[in-house]
Amino acid sequence: MSTQPHILVIDDEAQILRALRTILTAKQFKVSVASRGEEGLALAAAQPPDLIILDLSLPDMDGIEVCARLREWTQVPIIILSVRESEREKVIALDKGADDYLTKPFGIEELLARIRVALRHSAQTLGSQKSQIITAGAIVIDLALHIVTRNGEEVKLTATEFKLLAYLSANAGRVLTNQSILSHVWEPAEADRVEYLRVYIRQLRKKLEEDPDHPCIIRNEPGIGYRFMVDE
Amino acid sequence: MMRLNPFRRFKPFRGLKYLLAILVTAIFTLIFLSFRTEGGQDHTILSLLYLLPVVLSSVLWGLGPGALVALASFLALNYFFVPPYYTLLVHRTQDLLVLIVFLGVSITVGQLVGRVSKSLAESHAREHEAIHLYELIMHLAGLQDEQEIVSTLAEQTLITFHAGRVDVLVEAQGSIPVHHVRLEDHSLPAQALEDPPTFLAPLQSARGFLGEIKIWREASTLSPAEERLLHTFASQGVLALERVRLSQAASRARLLEESDRFKSSLLSSVSHELRTPLATIKAAVTSLRSGAVEWDTEARADLLAAVEEETDHLNQLVGNLLNMSRIEAGALKPERSWNSLAEILSSALDLTRQQTEKHVVEAEVSADLPLVPVDYFQIEQVFINLISNSTKYSPEGTTIAIHAHPVNRNLMQVTVRNQGPHVATEHLERIFDKFYRVTAADRVTGAGLGLSICKGIIEAHGGHIWAENLDRGFAFHFTLPLSWEGFPLEAGQEMVDE
Repeated sequence: MSTQPHILVIDDEAQILRALRTILTAKQFKVSVASRGEEGLALAAAQPPDLIILDLSLPDMDGIEVCARLREWTQVPIIILSVRESEREKVIALDKGADDYLTKPFGIEELLARIRVALRHSAQTLGSQKSQIITAGAIVIDLALHIVTRNGEEVKLTATEFKLLAYLSANAGRVLTNQSILSHVWEPAEADRVEYLRVYIRQLRKKLEEDPDHPCIIRNEPGIGYRFMVDE
Repeated sequence: MMRLNPFRRFKPFRGLKYLLAILVTAIFTLIFLSFRTEGGQDHTILSLLYLLPVVLSSVLWGLGPGALVALASFLALNYFFVPPYYTLLVHRTQDLLVLIVFLGVSITVGQLVGRVSKSLAESHAREHEAIHLYELIMHLAGLQDEQEIVSTLAEQTLITFHAGRVDVLVEAQGSIPVHHVRLEDHSLPAQALEDPPTFLAPLQSARGFLGEIKIWREASTLSPAEERLLHTFASQGVLALERVRLSQAASRARLLEESDRFKSSLLSSVSHELRTPLATIKAAVTSLRSGAVEWDTEARADLLAAVEEETDHLNQLVGNLLNMSRIEAGALKPERSWNSLAEILSSALDLTRQQTEKHVVEAEVSADLPLVPVDYFQIEQVFINLISNSTKYSPEGTTIAIHAHPVNRNLMQVTVRNQGPHVATEHLERIFDKFYRVTAADRVTGAGLGLSICKGIIEAHGGHIWAENLDRGFAFHFTLPLSWEGFPLEAGQEMVDE
């Protein structure tokens, strides 16, 4: 990334726009802002950004709709901003193609970390050179050979456990909703059987985490799903 | 027009009774004539026999016809049986005396019998009336629903007045919808719908017209007793309706008053609670922005940490306010799914990290515990509020311990223990009330909502929350059901492969 990455912020609150513009510009990003959904869509089409930060409550249209309309033509990473009370909408937005979310109020370090992950992920997708070896702490996952090692020793996983781990790690750094994990690893018809997922996540953590009660590799996303953490 | 003249009465055909009375006298006379002998007989016996039609008519048709029969019998006796026959002349003074005595006696007897039978009929009618009225009042008593009152009124009217169809209509008034009940007795001949009702009684209250009772029936007259009864039915119906409306108005007023009181205590509590962190933030930010003082790195970090802490504090407060208003509005509906308590607790601990910095937190909630069917964010809020309460009331440096264990197959119990002071036994339940504080408000921060929100959430999940004084410290306990819609989670055990 030789040039400055371009970030488009769509949010109707002037104070948030002002703060984000100041902070992101200081962090060497090129920033454009929109306070309405239509305006945001037009800006995204005129000057395709490298990443979009999208608020769910906009005056003229639903943030979820903005997300869906963007996904009709672009795979640009989208980070959702929302208040804590709108979990359901957040999950819908993620299932509609958003990549990540942040709950207002948020810390700026967290936002910057999410932006980095999203930009790296999209660079990898574009470069089509997807890594087959994923490292997270003491864990090394070889997706091609179906081998998982912990401190160099092979970890025995069942078929479903591996499928789950492969899906999580292939999307490392991104938030995955319960429904999307269930419909990818199990069947779309089982997207509501959250209890399966809980049980398998517990199994995986027991095999992979240093302290399964305080997981560092497979992190909870409260009320939404899980996120696989890799070394930066 | 109907309303002004509620009871339409058709005058009975009175002449008929008198005609019948004459007819009876004629029949008796014919019978007596067949026993007449030429030699003449004792008129005294005949005059006694002639009392029969008089008594009969008085019993059957009342005083007037009775008197008429008495007169007719007197004439018939004279004309047919007192010599000379077929004249109204009387030769013997003895006969004249008999006739005069007969007239006097028959009229007196007729009047007496007529009066007795009339008062007997009246007392029967009154008894009837009393029974029907009693039944109506019994059925109406205690009804709290307008529709039920209207139905009961219609039902009792149908039975009491032997009506073919009864309509009770109560008109809409303000927020009260219209109530209409139509009952028909199919054992009676059907009444054409388009016919005007036979009788109509208004439901008239002191404050105006409420509606009306319409009756269709074959008999087109109302006896005075029935008329009275219909009036009483209408006024009892009105009383019952008014009673319900008044009690509804009273409970609405009480609710409004309560919600008013809730809002004003919320406002006073919140405005204090919102200003405190805002004051800190404002003070810290203005000091940093003013060029008057050169802040060293440590001081800057301190001020900024205060701003961050207070921001979290405000955010938590807003969350509590939202939850409280949902509980108040009855809109707190848990969105349940199978969740791990360990995951919920760990995110609650993340969110309270700064508050718990000065305490030791020991969490003993294993990820191996059974999953619980709960709303993730609501139970997270319960943990946050209990932890936050513990940090406020227990001394710095002490331990806050969180523990969960299944009590049986159906129930999980969670305990949050701290080393804070005891709460007097009589306050143990009241600490879960809104705005209730054991200590003076200015000594502790918070809006006094945290524990009542916990109670609201736990009860919405079908659990129970209570507090307990320990030997050393204080504990909150709450329970959560392990089954959802009656089913425990069995899938967890059987679906794990190998």
